Amino acid sequence: MFKIGILGAGVMGTTHAAGWAQTPAHFAGIHALDAPRAAALAAEYGIRAYDSVDALLADVDVVDICTPTHLHYEMVLQAAAAGKHIICEKPLALDVAQGAEMIDACRRAGVTLLVAHVVRFFPEYASAQAIVSRGEIGDVAVVRLTRCSYQPRLAADNWFLDAAKSGGMMLDLMIHDFDYARWIAGEVESVYARSVRGRQPDAPEDYGIAILRHTSGAISNVEGGWAYPPPMFRTALEIAGSTGLIEHPADSSMPLSLHLKASGSGDVDAVGIPGSPLDESPYTTEIKHFYDVIAHGAAPRVSAEDGLAAVRIALAARQSAQSGRAVRIEEV
Amino acid sequence: MRIGILSFAHLHAEAYLGALLAMPDVEVIGIADENVERGRYFAGQFGVRQFEDYDGLLREKPDAVVITSENARHLPLVRMAADAGAAILCEKPLATTLDDARAIVNVCRAAGVPLMTAFPMRFSTPAVEIKKLIDGGGLGHVYGCNATNQGALPEFHQAENLPFLKRDWFTDPLLAGGGAVADHVVHLADLLRWYFANEIREVYAVTNQIMHKGKVGVETGGLIMLNFANGTFASIDCSWSKPAYYPTWGGLALELVAEKGLATMDAFRQVMTVYSERAGRPHYAYWGSDANAGMLRDFIGAVSDKRAPAVSGEDGLRAVEVVLAAYESARTGQPVSLG
Repeated sequence: MFKIGILGAGVMGTTHAAGWAQTPAHFAGIHALDAPRAAALAAEYGIRAYDSVDALLADVDVVDICTPTHLHYEMVLQAAAAGKHIICEKPLALDVAQGAEMIDACRRAGVTLLVAHVVRFFPEYASAQAIVSRGEIGDVAVVRLTRCSYQPRLAADNWFLDAAKSGGMMLDLMIHDFDYARWIAGEVESVYARSVRGRQPDAPEDYGIAILRHTSGAISNVEGGWAYPPPMFRTALEIAGSTGLIEHPADSSMPLSLHLKASGSGDVDAVGIPGSPLDESPYTTEIKHFYDVIAHGAAPRVSAEDGLAAVRIALAARQSAQSGRAVRIEEV
Repeated sequence: MRIGILSFAHLHAEAYLGALLAMPDVEVIGIADENVERGRYFAGQFGVRQFEDYDGLLREKPDAVVITSENARHLPLVRMAADAGAAILCEKPLATTLDDARAIVNVCRAAGVPLMTAFPMRFSTPAVEIKKLIDGGGLGHVYGCNATNQGALPEFHQAENLPFLKRDWFTDPLLAGGGAVADHVVHLADLLRWYFANEIREVYAVTNQIMHKGKVGVETGGLIMLNFANGTFASIDCSWSKPAYYPTWGGLALELVAEKGLATMDAFRQVMTVYSERAGRPHYAYWGSDANAGMLRDFIGAVSDKRAPAVSGEDGLRAVEVVLAAYESARTGQPVSLG
């Protein structure tokens, strides 16, 4: 049985911890710069709180990197050098060269690298992909994806808003649907995008739309934003094919609708996360799958190369939003 | 107010005629169609007089005409109607070329006859609510718009299975000016110009022909990005992506993400879903207000009050510019500037 440790105790570290606790893996511990938060999680799961990355790496077989994006590169290289299998939160990296280097380092070290593109594990998204792959709607023609929420509001070090750390909204949020569009419609050839921050980097919030052209001829409209009033989070998908159509609009598949008289607290999560009541959180489904990949050699639903391809599309979108020109994917 | 309809090539002719017949201050003098069988069919359906040719109808000196010929055949009818001194409501898109669109505007101006482009969405009651919200400052600056005007393949829009009722010109690149882009981009391009009181400066488009492949020779899928002078961007999905068995013909919907929040509008959401064994599939029964009737009331009011219609010929011309720029962008792979 392998030993797993988590780096980072933010929203994703906390979410992944709940997932690992439900696998047969030996959940050994956690390390985070936010030591009190790491200690609280350690207490919750009866695991160790390591006081350094090195201490954690020395004690585990697998590391799950849930730190802010700008730290992924160094931590993956460090873990690969230590011979550990790696799960890395999306986006894999802030640029293509670093991402390629990370993949290369893992290959040379003979360790597995998995990227946590969780949308592939959301049941509605997984189901739509299965319907498409069974040929029920024929060849994919037009894909529409939406993912909008409010601006992340971490009390301390709101790194999401620092493009040098997160890559910005397109790399942090829209990357989910860039990956999904590529999963559904194949490789992307060119990207044209507009966003509020593309032309005005100091804008108070961000919203963008990207149009992708796939090698297959399919086209995708990807919408993303950190501009809704909190606590709103909407996602939507629509896939039109040569012999059918899948519709999954925002707002229409919510099994619950609660309209409660205000309690006055008005608490809003620091980072919006979409969710529907399910037996198992899609994040846990994802972690259990990663467990199967590492423990039993199952074929990964999302590879490190997929993670890098998504980064490339997001960077093309960001570049297009800044330049106003369509960007061919090989230019990135 | 005496009014006639020139051509039944476009399926909207039926909707317009039905709405006109319901208006107490309007006398429908009849319809003329170069497809004589089709003209006879609809004259019979609606109980109106059929003219064998357009001249015959225009000799009756109507105050106004509605032109619903194929997109590429508007100009000759506009010339005839303008010569006869009739006010003109012309179906969208105004034309398939810039030269034709400009000529339509100029011919009417020279003859001194009012010209309105048929953009009924400006009269859709849900769409008007959004205009009021924007004008009242309720949204603040609009960052962007994600819009759809999708439909079924127009060939499915056929009143009855009779050969002369086939509307297959919608997929004839010469008569229609293209496929889904020519058919569907203009409504939203016009609505958004009106919403933002702002002009479109740049257009990007991608198109494909995966749906109905081999069946039609025009694009059936399209995504367009409009860039407005004020920085607002808007994406439009104009695809013919609704299957023949979809519960309705298609729709027009948009969301606006703005400084002050989010607004969404689905112009054809006022429906109930009907499950009938006779129909064999669920379908939507629309119960909202009729935007076509609102548009026709404005047109007729403008003619009788001698004021400008709410939508002009220039508005139609601007939309044609957008369509042509979209096709150029789809060819070149880069955004195309306007004006």
